[in-house]
Amino acid sequence: MMSLRVKFWLILLLAVVTAVLAYPKEGQLLQKIGLKNTNLSVKQGLDLQGGAELVFQAKDGELKKLTKTERETAMTSLIDVIQKRANPSGTAEVTVQRQGSDRVIVDLPGVADVNEAINQIGRTANLMFLELAPGSNQPVQTNVTGKDVSRADPDFDPQTGRPIVSLKMKGGQSTTKFGQLTTRINQQNGQLVTLLDDQIVFGPATVSQAITDGNAQLSGNFKDIEAARSIAQQINAGALPIPIDLVQQRSVGPSLGKESVAKSLLAGVIGLIVVAIFMVAYYRTAGFLAVLALIIYTLITLTVYKLTALTPYAIVLTLAGTAGFILSIGMAVDANILIFERMKEELRSGKSFVAATEAGFDRAWTSIRDSNAATLITCVILYLFGATIIKGFAVTLGIGVLISLFTSVVISRTFLRLFIRTSLGRRPSAYGLKSSEVAA
Amino acid sequence: MNLIGRRKLWYAVSLLIIIPGTISLVMFGLRLGIEFKGGQNLEVKGQISQSDIQDKIGSLGLKDVSIVSSGANSVVRYRDEAQPKVQQSNHQALTKDLAAKGHPEVSFETVGPSVSRDITRNALLSVALASVAIVLYIAFAFRNIPPPMTSWQFGLVAIVAMLHDALLLIGLFSILGVMAGIEIDSLFITAVLTVIGFSVHDTIVVFDRIRENLRRERGSFEEIVNTSILETLARSLNTSLTVLLALLALYLVGGESIKLFVLALIVGIASGTYSSILTASPLLVTWHNWQQKRALPSKLTKNQNLKSEPS
Repeated sequence: MMSLRVKFWLILLLAVVTAVLAYPKEGQLLQKIGLKNTNLSVKQGLDLQGGAELVFQAKDGELKKLTKTERETAMTSLIDVIQKRANPSGTAEVTVQRQGSDRVIVDLPGVADVNEAINQIGRTANLMFLELAPGSNQPVQTNVTGKDVSRADPDFDPQTGRPIVSLKMKGGQSTTKFGQLTTRINQQNGQLVTLLDDQIVFGPATVSQAITDGNAQLSGNFKDIEAARSIAQQINAGALPIPIDLVQQRSVGPSLGKESVAKSLLAGVIGLIVVAIFMVAYYRTAGFLAVLALIIYTLITLTVYKLTALTPYAIVLTLAGTAGFILSIGMAVDANILIFERMKEELRSGKSFVAATEAGFDRAWTSIRDSNAATLITCVILYLFGATIIKGFAVTLGIGVLISLFTSVVISRTFLRLFIRTSLGRRPSAYGLKSSEVAA
Repeated sequence: MNLIGRRKLWYAVSLLIIIPGTISLVMFGLRLGIEFKGGQNLEVKGQISQSDIQDKIGSLGLKDVSIVSSGANSVVRYRDEAQPKVQQSNHQALTKDLAAKGHPEVSFETVGPSVSRDITRNALLSVALASVAIVLYIAFAFRNIPPPMTSWQFGLVAIVAMLHDALLLIGLFSILGVMAGIEIDSLFITAVLTVIGFSVHDTIVVFDRIRENLRRERGSFEEIVNTSILETLARSLNTSLTVLLALLALYLVGGESIKLFVLALIVGIASGTYSSILTASPLLVTWHNWQQKRALPSKLTKNQNLKSEPS
């Protein structure tokens, strides 16, 4: 067993570290003590930072035409295409996730024009054949486009064995146009570039011989045959690998989000102060210790929020999530109240302060464990079956319950054990008891 | 203080607060939000009236249009059955028109019928699963309960207390739906589930004490339950009070969009405290006494039979 003194110092260390990390401008603070400026921040949900959540669903009739493997590939490449279209620069904080068998959720934080984004995602894919004249680095658009392609298929290059996409041009005019283009490039020693949605899928490369039979190959350095299949699907669909409909949209203006953050923060602070006043008024010095434990609880929770933002499993704070957090403060206080009430009872029954503290913890523990387990069960179910809003609530409440178990069992306990060693800790009044209630 | 002795009074109070909502629930049901029935909600700045959007409703062919105010903003609820692409341009047209009248868009939400079906199914599923999981947990946690009661009885009584709170909350929102046009959304389902969790949390604390006191065996079952309630009374009230204080702060200064959610939590938690002290534990006593009464006459008849047997 760790000695009480060691435990106390460890708790103090934990409090200081979490206080630094939970501090809103922790980057500057870390820099001051000679550490690297790492900017941590709580990841905010769309309802807090403003933005849009879009849910697209693959058209049912189209999906039914495909086999199971084809459907999976189509969905995977759908997500891939949406990702590229929603976030062409790759810098925005866009997330695209699959939901269920046929839906895709797109989160666009801080997006300025939602309708523009929706149009971008739903637009038809653009296959372009560009000509690069010799000595020039400015490709020129030609009269051959995706509309001239009748079919695209994933294939392997017979010579190199690498994955490629084979194209079959539509007959008549299209094949003629493509034949003329390749003949010209071949004669002028130019280069051909093929773009799909502004991404290069072929070239720039010279054309060794004119293609007059309408059969072309795109050797776009595809990672594997699946990548080639995805590109082929996009070309075939003339748009997305599968047609989609917007089935759900939620957009929140940035001003509403900011207002919500400010209000929730204020509510949290007021909530904490009110709870603190109540605890000190009712349980006196012991209540003050509980408030200290509660502050450390809040610091740990904020730190956990911030640190998870560095991992792929970031806790996303939503408006409902702030309610979950505030509710978890209540649950954290509950553990302390259970312990204090039990302690007071044991003191009234004539136990010594040391014995009463230990009995208080031991006896209160089953209640704390069982009641929190019930809350955790609810959280898990909410997380598994809830919509996005509900998930945010379930996560903050669940994490709050887990951390509060730690703070009540370890931190409050250590504080109380140390407190009863002091002369103040052996006075009934320190627990809100009258001296007449305690057997001397 | 004999709380158990007045249990008929507590049952009456429970019924009194539950019955109006239940009647409303049976007669009018709940007013479902767009998440459960599909549709559109457009929130704009400032207060608008029907006349502001009348011409657009007609030209765009929007159905079931209603306007509710939400703090300083207004929410236009409508149903647009056009193709998704047309819905998008209809929304843009409506937003543009309102912005020109000085009411820019604050938020917009649209839910298609396939999504709303899934949300409804998941909501019902999660309530059912949470209830079953909690009964199983209580039955397990109280598996070594001393006689005369069994852990299943404790579990079922906790569920009754939980239903008490859920019914009060759902009934209240049915009444609010009728009186103030308030719709239920995913957040409401979350509130119901949280209240269920909290109610059980509270009930378990009292049951835990009953179990402990039963082991020490002093007095009748009724006396033991009464003592247990009194011993946990300060804790129950203090915990609820702190949670309610925190929620009240959230209700008063928190964001407009979670106000109803917080209100639901406040009502549910207050009800949860009442039910765990004054409904759940007294029900255990009522059940116990009923068991005794049933057991007693049968014992008597058995004895009489023995006596009447010819020797």
